[in-house]
Amino acid sequence: MANRILFLIILFGLFVTSSLNAQEELFKKLSSVKIKGTNFITYPAYSGTPYLSEKFLIGEIEFMNGVKIDKIGLRYSSYRDELIYYNSDISTQIVIDKISIKSFSFNDENGVKRVFRRQNYTGFLNGERFFELLSDGDIALLAYRKVDLGTCDPSYSKLGLAYQKSYSYYVYSAASGYSPISLNRNSLLSKFTKPNQKLAKKVLRKNRVEFSDEASFVLAWNLLKENGIPISY
Amino acid sequence: MNISIEVNKNRDYKVKRRIIILLLLFVALMGKAQKKEHFSLFTDRDLYVSGETLLFKVFVPEDDQSGIVNVDLVNTNGRIISEVSKKIIDHQTDGFIALPDSLSSGSYLVCTSTKINPSLTVKELYISNQFAGLPESNHALRSSETDLFVEMAATTLQIEGLDKTYKTRGKASLTLDFTPELLSQIDENLFVSVTEADQDYNSKTFFRLNKPKKNQIVEKEGVILDGFVKDVKTGEPFKKGVVFLSVPDTIPRFKYFITGNDGYFIFRLDNYIGRIPVVVQGFDPDDKRLLKVVINHRDSLKSAVPQLETWNFSSELRKSTGNNIDASMFCKIFNYQEITALPIPFNKSEEYPFYGVATEIVNTKLFIDLPEFTEIARELLSGVKFRANNRIPSLQIFNPALHNYFAEPPLLLIDGIPVRDLNVIKDMGSKDINRIEICHSKRFYGNLIFYGVVAIHTSKHDYTGIKASDDLIKFDLDAIQPDIILNTTVGLKLNEMDLRKVLLWKPSIKPEKNIKLDFETSDIKGNYRLIIHGKTKDGSNFYKEQFFEVN
Repeated sequence: MANRILFLIILFGLFVTSSLNAQEELFKKLSSVKIKGTNFITYPAYSGTPYLSEKFLIGEIEFMNGVKIDKIGLRYSSYRDELIYYNSDISTQIVIDKISIKSFSFNDENGVKRVFRRQNYTGFLNGERFFELLSDGDIALLAYRKVDLGTCDPSYSKLGLAYQKSYSYYVYSAASGYSPISLNRNSLLSKFTKPNQKLAKKVLRKNRVEFSDEASFVLAWNLLKENGIPISY
Repeated sequence: MNISIEVNKNRDYKVKRRIIILLLLFVALMGKAQKKEHFSLFTDRDLYVSGETLLFKVFVPEDDQSGIVNVDLVNTNGRIISEVSKKIIDHQTDGFIALPDSLSSGSYLVCTSTKINPSLTVKELYISNQFAGLPESNHALRSSETDLFVEMAATTLQIEGLDKTYKTRGKASLTLDFTPELLSQIDENLFVSVTEADQDYNSKTFFRLNKPKKNQIVEKEGVILDGFVKDVKTGEPFKKGVVFLSVPDTIPRFKYFITGNDGYFIFRLDNYIGRIPVVVQGFDPDDKRLLKVVINHRDSLKSAVPQLETWNFSSELRKSTGNNIDASMFCKIFNYQEITALPIPFNKSEEYPFYGVATEIVNTKLFIDLPEFTEIARELLSGVKFRANNRIPSLQIFNPALHNYFAEPPLLLIDGIPVRDLNVIKDMGSKDINRIEICHSKRFYGNLIFYGVVAIHTSKHDYTGIKASDDLIKFDLDAIQPDIILNTTVGLKLNEMDLRKVLLWKPSIKPEKNIKLDFETSDIKGNYRLIIHGKTKDGSNFYKEQFFEVN
């Protein structure tokens, strides 16, 4: 008798679980965001890489209509400045419509979170671009991760062409727009007024900041921001 | 041997005891879970004339997860006459039901619940037909329900400044004084109304149980539209059928659903407000079977109907109803509107159509008149090949990436509605078309692939060219009802009659120590009632009412 009751309870439990799963599946199907995009056309095979990352990395997208999607395989094409995702249901790589994206982010191979934002670039070759946020705020430090197809030494590429990094960096604020910046001490100091340059130099010297690469430049930028030295450009 | 049997018996007994305790616990917990708060439903009046507007206010239980509440007008046979969906804000909502002119005289029920809630709050009303009046038999059916909605009288709430009598078109101003104790107990906003009251008829509000459908999805931001696709030949639910839902608009809205084994489809129409035109079409992706689309529509709510008993009208009620009918008739003649719908907020959720930004837009009006689409395609649309020489027309788009035409047909849209039969556009000329948008690339929308897009925007925007059939249904859907305000007498001339029966309607007032209210009486003489409804933090309702006369 006891075994029968136990069996019935287990059966009831199984029924309830399967019913809940069905509802969950329906809800998932209903809430799935429909991404709009175009067909991805493969790039010519030259040396170097047209992508920011070799693999599709799991990331998150925020669309202009406020909808967010997370845990999605993304790959940023530096060459065409476009975001590609892999639709596993139809086994296709799709270029997401740039105008539908507000921002996207993913963790790179080193586990570092990379955040990109779509902004309208008003300078030369103006238009909508994806900028990486190196440091956000009222005055942001942005990187445009562009890769160009350029000629190179035939020893490097048989076809004489290769994808070459052509990154550019900008200081951006909504009021003043974009101002290009180079990854060196002088360029950074030029974004400060004369009296503030002295203060900035002092802070950099005190903290023994050396401008060797992008990471150290961002570190210096954040340090000056933390010390409240106002940027004016 | 005997010992082992005894040990087994003992073990069995222990297991049984445990199971019984577990079952009892389960039942007790279920009982606790089912002891839920009810919906509180209030209407402006209890007696109506067909063609009038019924105003309602609903307090939603705190534990209800829905974002949308359904308010239905049901007759005593359980048939739904009107249904309204309203967005819940801070566990409450208010709205209106336009009572159809053709309603016959009798008792009706206003029911409120959400899609997932088994609890149903029902209020009975009496509606007189504006042409026939009350039945000559002098009796009608009304509810004999005993599980009634109970409100506590708020004795500490003071109404100051309200006189016992007012002249017609008199001005009244009053203050509601709340004690700090009562004020601290109030949970949500207050609802205040001043309406014509007939003390000869007091309607009942009661609770019923409604069995919600299995696997119901919670309506959070908008109404849900669901149904089935069936094979026309076999009548069986169709597996892996594709269902399109289109809402023609300036930027057309589109959703799709791929059915499972049960042929069931469901769409969530989030943030759609008002009455919207909807086109639902279902088809077999392999084009082998013809499908029939069936929309799930609630046409009855039998569970709301209570036990009924005979009730006789009093002579006073007959007289006041006669007056009401006259007033209602005058309102119709002079086209007096009780309420004004507030403008629908512009929802900029989509900046461009689902099929993408057009690579080419052709305004056909800028060119000479072309009588057929074949000529339009040939003369005006670059990279679009439309052939209608034989009985089966064909449409192809040039793919610039591959320097060739797509082998598959493109997505063809007329006013944002996908069209699969090319014969619909065959006879379309320049006069019928406003503009044509073309996307030359292969487009993706979720898991759908479009081999180019041709979007035709017609001159009339009425998509009458698309014929309804088994696999294509066109209808107007009542999405979330827009908010309303009660019309006032501002702008009313002295020689115009003021026939308002609702003098004040404040469905959502923030509780404060002193609330000042002003209203103006109308030209209708009779008894009026000021009533305040509220909800306390423990989930119970309170009210305070005061009657006055207009002569």
